[in-house]
Parts: sequence; C-alpha cells; structure tokens
Amino acid sequence: MDTIELDRRSFLVTTGAVAGGMALAVSPAGASSDVVAAGPWGPDAAAGNEFSPWIEIAADDTVTIRVPNPESGNGTMTQIAMNVAEELECAWSNIRVVNASVSRDYTENHVYTVASLPFFSGHGTDRLRMARTFQLGASARERLKAAAAARWKVPAAEVTAKDGILSHVSTSRTLRFGEVAGAAAGIKLAAEPSLKSQAEWTLIGKKSPSKLFIPDLTTGKAVYGIDVKLPGMVHAALRQVPVMGGRLKSHKPEVALRMPGVRAVVVIDPANSRKTPLKDETSFGVANTTEVQHGVAVIADHFWQAKMALDALPVEWELGSGTHYRTQDDIYQGMASIRDTGEGKVVLARGDPASAKGKRVVEGEYLTPYADNAVMEPLGGTALVTADSCQMWCATQDSRQAYWVAIDETGLAPEKVTVHNTLVGGNFGRRTQAEDLRMVVAIARQFPGVPVKTIWTREEMFRQGRYRTPISTRFKAVLDDASGLPQAVSGDLCFAGDRPLFQLTQGYGDPPYFNSGAIPNVRLTTTNFPVHVLNGAYRGPCFNSNAFITETFIDECAHAAGIDPVEYRLALLAKWEKPWSDVLRLAASKAGWGQKLPKGEGLGVAITSWPMATIHNFGSVMATVARISISKQGVLAVKRVDIAFDCGKVANADAVRAQIEGGTLFGLNMTLNEEVTILNGAIVEGNYDEYPMLRMGDSLPEIHVHFEALSGHDRFDLMGELPVGPIGPAVGNAIYSAMGKRLRSTPFRKQDLSWT
Amino acid sequence: MEEDTVIAVSFKVNGQTQRVEADASTPLLWVLRDHLGMTGTKYGCGIAQCGACTVHLGGEAIRSCQVPLDALAGAEVVTIEGLAARGGETLQHLWAEMNVPQCGYCQSGMLMAAADLLRKKPRPSDADIDEAMTNICRCGTYPRIRAAIKRAAGVAA
Repeated sequence: MDTIELDRRSFLVTTGAVAGGMALAVSPAGASSDVVAAGPWGPDAAAGNEFSPWIEIAADDTVTIRVPNPESGNGTMTQIAMNVAEELECAWSNIRVVNASVSRDYTENHVYTVASLPFFSGHGTDRLRMARTFQLGASARERLKAAAAARWKVPAAEVTAKDGILSHVSTSRTLRFGEVAGAAAGIKLAAEPSLKSQAEWTLIGKKSPSKLFIPDLTTGKAVYGIDVKLPGMVHAALRQVPVMGGRLKSHKPEVALRMPGVRAVVVIDPANSRKTPLKDETSFGVANTTEVQHGVAVIADHFWQAKMALDALPVEWELGSGTHYRTQDDIYQGMASIRDTGEGKVVLARGDPASAKGKRVVEGEYLTPYADNAVMEPLGGTALVTADSCQMWCATQDSRQAYWVAIDETGLAPEKVTVHNTLVGGNFGRRTQAEDLRMVVAIARQFPGVPVKTIWTREEMFRQGRYRTPISTRFKAVLDDASGLPQAVSGDLCFAGDRPLFQLTQGYGDPPYFNSGAIPNVRLTTTNFPVHVLNGAYRGPCFNSNAFITETFIDECAHAAGIDPVEYRLALLAKWEKPWSDVLRLAASKAGWGQKLPKGEGLGVAITSWPMATIHNFGSVMATVARISISKQGVLAVKRVDIAFDCGKVANADAVRAQIEGGTLFGLNMTLNEEVTILNGAIVEGNYDEYPMLRMGDSLPEIHVHFEALSGHDRFDLMGELPVGPIGPAVGNAIYSAMGKRLRSTPFRKQDLSWT
Repeated sequence: MEEDTVIAVSFKVNGQTQRVEADASTPLLWVLRDHLGMTGTKYGCGIAQCGACTVHLGGEAIRSCQVPLDALAGAEVVTIEGLAARGGETLQHLWAEMNVPQCGYCQSGMLMAAADLLRKKPRPSDADIDEAMTNICRCGTYPRIRAAIKRAAGVAA
C-alpha cells in the first residue's frame, strides 16, 4: 500500500491488490521526503557541544537538556533540568529543555534509558533518574572547569563554577560556560566527580522554579503535537466504527473525492499492520492494547476540508456483537453477576472471614462507571512514511511506546524510524499505549512520501476512548462487638473488560487496613467481565475507583460502629507506619474536624495511597477532608478541601502543590460529573456539551494543601495519580454526614440529593 | 452546511492585513492554524464549549471555531501571538511567575479570555471572573488562573 503514485489532482483512483481493495488515493507529485522541521525535540544523532547525549552547551551559554520524559503538565522536564542544574551550576535562565530522541536511544545503545518507564511522561524525581542526571551535570561541570584551567594554565582544583561562570579567584579571571564549552565537551575525566550531599543542594527542595515552557506558551510559540508544521503537509480527519470491534461494510469515496482539497480516502484495517519481527523494547508491549479500530479517513489539503468531506462521506458499518449491550447498565449488571459467582481470583487472604462473629454486619455494593480522559489536546500526530522510512512528530505519554508502535505498524527496521516528541496537551493515561499514533501511521503510510497530520475530532475522542475501567465491588464486614472494628472483611470485585493491563487492585488489595493485621480475617477476590468497550489507563488506573469504594465502605463501617470516622481509621492504621496517621490527623485538624455543623452541611474524610500501599516507606499517602453543603433542593457545593500528604521529601514544592490542586479538581470532576454512557453498544457522549466539566463558575472549593506531615524519609515519591483518589470518597462521606444518604456509585450529579 | 465555495477575504490579524483564500465555511480557528500557520490558537471541541480557541474579534473575546471565513471581511483579530503587544504582558508574566499552566493546552484561550475581562473590568470581582472565564481546563488550574487575574488587576486574592 506504500506504492501508490498518481498525478496530483488527477482524481484517478487506484484500488485492488496493492491497496487491499480498500484504499483510494490521489497523491501529489514531487512530494518531498527530505523533511527538516524545527520543534521541541533533540537531534537523532550527536550535534553541538555535547557533554553527553543529554546535555549540550552552546557558545552563547544556552544549556540544552534533552529529556526522555515528555512534558504533559506535571513539570517532569523542568524537574530533570533542576536535577542537572543542581550539579552543573549553570544559570537557570540559560536552560532550555527538549525531548530526547528515542530513536537515538535505540541506535546509541540506550543512552537515555534510565529506571523503569524510562520514556514515560513523569517520574522526574525517580531515584535512579535523579542519580543519573546529577552525575551528568557534575561531569559536565568538571569538564568545564578543566577546560578553563587549561586555558588559564592553572590546576583545575582552583577553578570554581557558579551561575554559569567559571572563576579563578586568586587571579580574578572569569570565563562564561559558553566560552569553553567546545573545548570542555571533548575532555574526558579520569574519574567521575562525587556528588553534593543533600545538605549542599541549592535547587532541589530549596526553590520552586516554574515550568520552563510557560513563557513560550503564553506567546503562542509552544509546539504541541497538533501544532507541528512540515513542508507539503496534508491533513486527515478520521472516523472509526461507532461500536468497537465492528468493521467497515461499505463507503462511497467518490463522494468525498469530489469535495474541495480532498486528496484521498483511506481505509484503516487493523489486519494491515505489518508487525515487527523484533522483540519490542517497551514497558507496555505493542500487542492488543495498541491495536486500532476499523475506520476511514479523508486526507485533504486542510483539516477543515478533510472534516467536511468526511462528514459527507457515506459509510455503512457492520457494527458487530457489541450492539448486544443496549445500555451501560447491561454491562454493569453483567459485572455484578460475575462478581457474585464467588469464583473470583483471590488477591488477598488472611484468616477466615466465615469464622467471624459479630452482631453488626456492614454490606454494600459499589460501582464506578466508564469515563473518558477528556484530554484537552486532541489525539493525533504527523507522520511521513516512505517505502523505507517513517518519521513521526507527536505528543505521547511514552515516547518509546510511540516509537515501537510506529515500528510495528510499518514493519520497518528500528533504525529506519524516528519519533519527535512535542509538548503534550494532557495525558491522564490516554496516551500510554500509542494506539492513536498507530492510527496516525496507518493513515500516513497509505499516502506515502507526504507528511500527513491526523487530528481526532472531539467527537471521535469521546466515542473512541480507552475508558476508565468500570469497577463493581461488593464488600461485607463483620464488626467486632467490643471494638467496633471489622473482625472480617470480604470483597468481591469485577472489572469491566478483558485486558489485564487495566485491571489494577491499588486501593482495593493494598490498603493497610487489610494488610497490617488490623483486620484479622480478610478475603478479597477479583473477576472480570469481557466486553467490547475498550478500557485504558485513566489517571490512577483503577485506583481512582477502588479509592472511592474502599474509603466509602470503611466510612460505613465507622458509622455502623458509632465511632468517629477519623478515630476509626486511626485505630485501623495503628499497626501501620506513622506517616499515615500523621497525614490523617493533620488534614482533620486543619479542616476543623469534629465541629458541630447544621443539617445540610458536613465534613468527610478519606485516606489513600499510590502506587503500592503494602510496601513500607514507599509511594505517597494522602488524606483529604472535604467540607460540603447541600441545599434542600439537592444542590451540592464543595466548600473547602484540606489535604495532607507524605511522599518523603519534595523536590519542587510548588510543582507538588500544583499536582495536588489539579489532581483534586480532576478527582472531584470525576466523582461529581463523569460518565460516558452506551446505547446499542456505541458511546453516546460526543462533546463537552454532553460531558460536563467543572469550570470556574461552578463554586469550586478552596483547596488548602498542608506540607507539615511530610516524613522526610529519603525519597521524592509520586504525586500525579494520588490526589484523584481521596477527594471523591471524602465528598461522598461528607454528604452522608450532612444528610444521611450514602452514595455508593458515581457520578453524584445523577443522584438525588434533596432532603427535608 | 451551505455549499462551500472558495472565497478570498482580507482581514487583520494582530495588526497585519492578511488575505486568505479558502472555503467560505472555514472557521477562523482553522484559518489561523492551517492557512496562516498561527498555531497558538487551539482546537479543543469545535462547538464553542471549551474556549481553547478564544481570540479577540473586533475587541471582543470569541470562540474562533464559530466564526466562518465569509464573516471575516475587514475584521480585526487579535490572537495569543499578538497579545503581548496589546496589553497582555502583565498576564503573560504572571502566568509564568505563578506557574499557572499545567499541560498548557487550554491556556492561550484562558489568557485571551482573561485579557478581555481585564480590559472591560480592570478590577473584577469573583463573580466577574466566574462569568467571563468559561473555558475548560482539564488539569485543574482554575485556582491559579483566578489568583493570577486578581494579581494582574491588583485586587486582593
């Protein structure tokens, strides 16, 4: 399908064997495959005064740090620049960051591969990544010193480096980094320098620089995936089969081909992926989670033309067996049935729940629905595919995943494929698998020799999501007659979907309640309900549901026992590490826990951890207290949120604060508003008019973030996923406290909260 | 949708006259992005919901996805690329200093909406901000947007 060549605008159509009978294409003559484009990405081979593939220092003092972890708003690239600068002693204002070339990582023996998830959009404070980037900075600094020493003919030990200036104090001589960068880049050190002690740090934990890309953003210069411009570039609009798993039955490309600017109509069939014979080097694999759906795309000179022609294109689909599900409730009922078979996989067993005796039994069924990541930047990207090469420019959550998906889709050798990463307009899990980028390549390789930018419309985004995994859980506790604490807990959980990658037990199997011995008898199981609707990673995968379910259930136990919910949790955490109790106490005290409130107002609490609560001194823990009011008409207002957390230490306090603020609002929106629904197997919601999002006018809570419970344990742990966990159950528990109604499913907006 | 015909329209963007020849129905959003190469204005929804495409048209903040080329003859458009030269520096500076954006994709629209608000109401109340700032931010930067607008206006946070 890579060999179609026709005169531009001749509207000759080729079909048949070459195109598998599905592609209709008109491609331009003289299209260039020799594309040079500028953007926020580093070179695919050595370039400039390189101190390592990570660091280039130019004669004008600009320090360019090539970061393998794409920036999607959490400040990862800026954090890695902080790590380097902590040792390099350059001027912060001279730093720029670009995305490291993932193809260079492949061709140069994995020069950018550090830690697990080496190309993931986050984890700038990963222990191994910090160590590597400190060392790179220190090494560059010592080589700059050596070059200055050689210039001055003094011992290198007499040269100091600070704020991008090299000094020889006794002779009052100075040089800028840039003045010796060329010479310094060629110097090899006899031994790697030792690193600063933490007490000597001047940036990490001391300063909170803003994200480096913001100035360019505020002037419109920042380049996202959708902003890439290449000479001769054309645009594609995409429509996939409305019911996942269905196929294209027929279409009339001639209708679209008659419309202005249209170059081609192409058909996407997952069976046409070429497949790489090599073992991929990704964290997630390039198998079924990266598959595309069947679809059609129109390629035109401009995106608007492509979209208009696609809208006019007559298409018939074979919708397939997914239509069996009339609404999402069919799926949720199916999940509950499987859940209750009692034949689930046991994920935690301790003692014997059947042996527990107690007069008070707490039982509840909980459900979280499908939701869409709703990232602001549409999916898509630009690819230029020829018979023996593939270049792609894109936003991704994992650039190595994007790279290997492009390799797999084209069947080309890895050396023939390059991927250039841009800024990312939101991830939240949606861009982890790169199935959207496989689609970009699948379209572009049917229009070879020309850069093709594919943009998913918002409607395509909502209806072709890789949704939050719905979870249906039944919990049962038998409370000890004396203490009121659970003597036994049984849980049965069912995930929707059949992809194990998106069936995580965080927040369900790992809370200390169930693992510390506080509850002597525990049995937790999981099942799954195969269904055609595809799941994916949604911020804090599955944890975002389990946190709501577990923390609502524990709250129910507390109320059934007649014990204050904070005291109850503290009792359950008594055998666990102290920071958990500390964050809980701090959030409660800052929120004024225990105060008497009138009916219709309430406080609620929740405490959760990501990514693995069972490991001591690992991951991050957060307690959130929400204060809410509900009018008699049932209008809910979340007034104030108090949050305490422990992630060990913080490297950039404002970056951590920003993640907590934003994650809390994300989790609040998820809980109050978010659900995509299903009609005859297809997703109903197509745009933001049908999928409400919190806005500034929606009486948002005051968010108070408290740092005083940080344990100081020597780690800088994760803060991206965690804040979405505790806010929802805290609000739900506050609603119970305010009006006595227990909410066991989300979104809350669909539930009647009126009272008298 | 009306039958599309190619038309040529002249209008000003950030003070410079531009002549664009394109299908009459092409929204200003795509005229800016695809025809003029000005990609600071973002596509988010295409139905005037999200506000990522906010620009100033004749001095008013509007959703550029809703204005077709054939309505643009003689118009004066200001985009994020022209904001600095038109009184936007304070907001732009504060956006960086206060680390307002996360992913940033919605923020050019946010800045254009905020600049419009401050021009009309130099000392906006919270209610004014609520009314004017209807754009969607998925990252949850709303508290910082509010704080930055108030600081730009010199009103207490």
